[in-house]
Amino acid sequence: MQRTTAAERTPPTVVALLASPLGILVRAVARIRASVHVKLLAAFLVITLLFIAMTAVSLLAVTETARQTTLLDEAHERVGWSRQIEHALAMQMHFTSMALLSQSADSVSLILRENNRFNDTLERLQTAAPAEERALIQAIRGAQDDAMATVADIANALRDRRLAEAMTALRTEQEPIYQKIEALVSSLVAAEEQRMARLRASIAASQSRSLRLTAGFAVASVALALLAGFVISWSFILPVREARGFLSEVAEGRFGGKIVVPNRDEFGALAEHMNRMSEELHRLDDEQRVAAERLHSLNDRLALASRAKSEFLANMSHELRTPLNAILGFTEIMHDGLYGEVPPELREPLVDIQTNGRHLLRLINDVLDLSKIEAGRLELGVTEYSVQEIVDVVHTSLKSLAIEKGLTFTATVPPDIPTAWGDGRRLTQCLLNLAGNALKFTRRGRVDLDVRLEGEWLTYRVTDTGIGIPKDEIDKIFAEFRQVDTTITREYGGTGLGLSITKRLVEMHGGRIGVDSELGKGSTFFFTVPLHTDGERA
Amino acid sequence: MKDRTVLHIEDNEYNRKIVRQLLSRTSFKLIEAADGEEGVAVAQRELPDLILMDVQLPKLSGLDATRQLRADPRTAKIPLVVVTSFALSGDDRRAMDAGASAYLAKPYSPRDLMALIHKFLPDN
Repeated sequence: MQRTTAAERTPPTVVALLASPLGILVRAVARIRASVHVKLLAAFLVITLLFIAMTAVSLLAVTETARQTTLLDEAHERVGWSRQIEHALAMQMHFTSMALLSQSADSVSLILRENNRFNDTLERLQTAAPAEERALIQAIRGAQDDAMATVADIANALRDRRLAEAMTALRTEQEPIYQKIEALVSSLVAAEEQRMARLRASIAASQSRSLRLTAGFAVASVALALLAGFVISWSFILPVREARGFLSEVAEGRFGGKIVVPNRDEFGALAEHMNRMSEELHRLDDEQRVAAERLHSLNDRLALASRAKSEFLANMSHELRTPLNAILGFTEIMHDGLYGEVPPELREPLVDIQTNGRHLLRLINDVLDLSKIEAGRLELGVTEYSVQEIVDVVHTSLKSLAIEKGLTFTATVPPDIPTAWGDGRRLTQCLLNLAGNALKFTRRGRVDLDVRLEGEWLTYRVTDTGIGIPKDEIDKIFAEFRQVDTTITREYGGTGLGLSITKRLVEMHGGRIGVDSELGKGSTFFFTVPLHTDGERA
Repeated sequence: MKDRTVLHIEDNEYNRKIVRQLLSRTSFKLIEAADGEEGVAVAQRELPDLILMDVQLPKLSGLDATRQLRADPRTAKIPLVVVTSFALSGDDRRAMDAGASAYLAKPYSPRDLMALIHKFLPDN
């Protein structure tokens, strides 16, 4: 599935490329089990070798052309020599004619000189001439010898003043020989010229062949270089593209995809590592998902259990209160004489029943309150309230206890304190707890309530001259079920929940609670709440 | 003048007995019901002058019974005191929302209950 999405990101040109034979080649190169380094080196080496081969071929062509040019030069030279031979022949004929005309043999020596030149040139020609021309040169040489014999005859005839004989020899013997030599030389020249023409054609042909060859090599080299570059680079780009698609899937949080590349090089190794990473991520993701689901269901079960607990507590609250209502109710109506005059000796036990019943009620209330706070089910009923009223309620309800214990009990509220916002009844409960504790733990002296407004903060304070709290216990007294000493519980009573509940209620108002105390001297408990609590913070 | 009737809806016999004892010395006529459904039926039949309704009742809760009585035009105006479980639990607010005229937290003092009854049914 992930593979498809990765392919979708590849541009259509690449898809077309991968479908073509070029794509097969790219994959084949990718499949080669060699490192990227070696592959690149091999590609560059192939291209370099091709260029070297091209250079060698060009050099060979140049050498061949040079050889043929030399041959052409030689042929050219031979033609020159042939012309010289022709010239020497003409000179011989000229000098022979001159000898006849002057009727002197002096010119004959000049003929001999021309003959020597003729022979020298012919000698050179014979050395340079190709084999097929040797016979022709041999024939020329034979004819020349004949001509020289005739020249000797003519010279002899002239010396002997046999002019007519010399003329006849010239006409009938020498001229035909010279004509023959001339014809032979001409055919030699013609042969050389033909050879030259062939050489020229051959040079032209070899030049054009070497041009074609060089061009062919150049085109092939460029094409091969392009092909190698293309194939090699795409054999690297393809896995990189795959990896990019794969990694973006991972980045989007889709794990477990697989990257498939044909490469058996570093890219192949990389792909393998990425696949392992993907598997590991997938595994971790699954584990995390399972854990999250487990946590979720656990959470649901806990929420269910918490609801069940809260319902149980609500029911229990009512169930406990119903018999307590009967106990307290019957005691009161009995005490009030509804069943007739109460005998004096029964009055005290009736009051004791009432006192203990009320104590039991307070304990039940505390336990239920704390349970609700723990379950996060306690809500503050935030309304306007009067600070004066709270202090008055607390003072009034505890005044009798203070009088009973012989304690001075005062309450001071500055007259300028404005109407406050908060849960007045809960704050009353808090102040009742603190003041109740103070009265409980003070045997002699006084308990004073007062309120101060500092800026937007109200501080309720209860100061007593009671037993005080040891320093090392101060931090613990706000914890649940905590009284400094278990003997205190027996002597003074109480659940140890009051302070804990008070602390939670104050914190729900966005305030804080604190105490300053000196052992044996007394304590000051206080809590500070905003003048305007904006709502519940439980 | 006809004796005024107080309907007490409460499932606990002892608590019914306390009210019975309290009202025995007065001119109020007491009728009782032990669950929410019966309470609504008796109220609609007898049209009492005051209803004392416990909040937690079998079959039909005190709050639901209160809502039913308030929805019925014959009983909508009858003073109705809901006896809540615990003043700070939020029951008091729910009771007033359901249409109670007043609430009394349990356990209540019989003196407070009598004071409340006299408040709604003053002596001439």
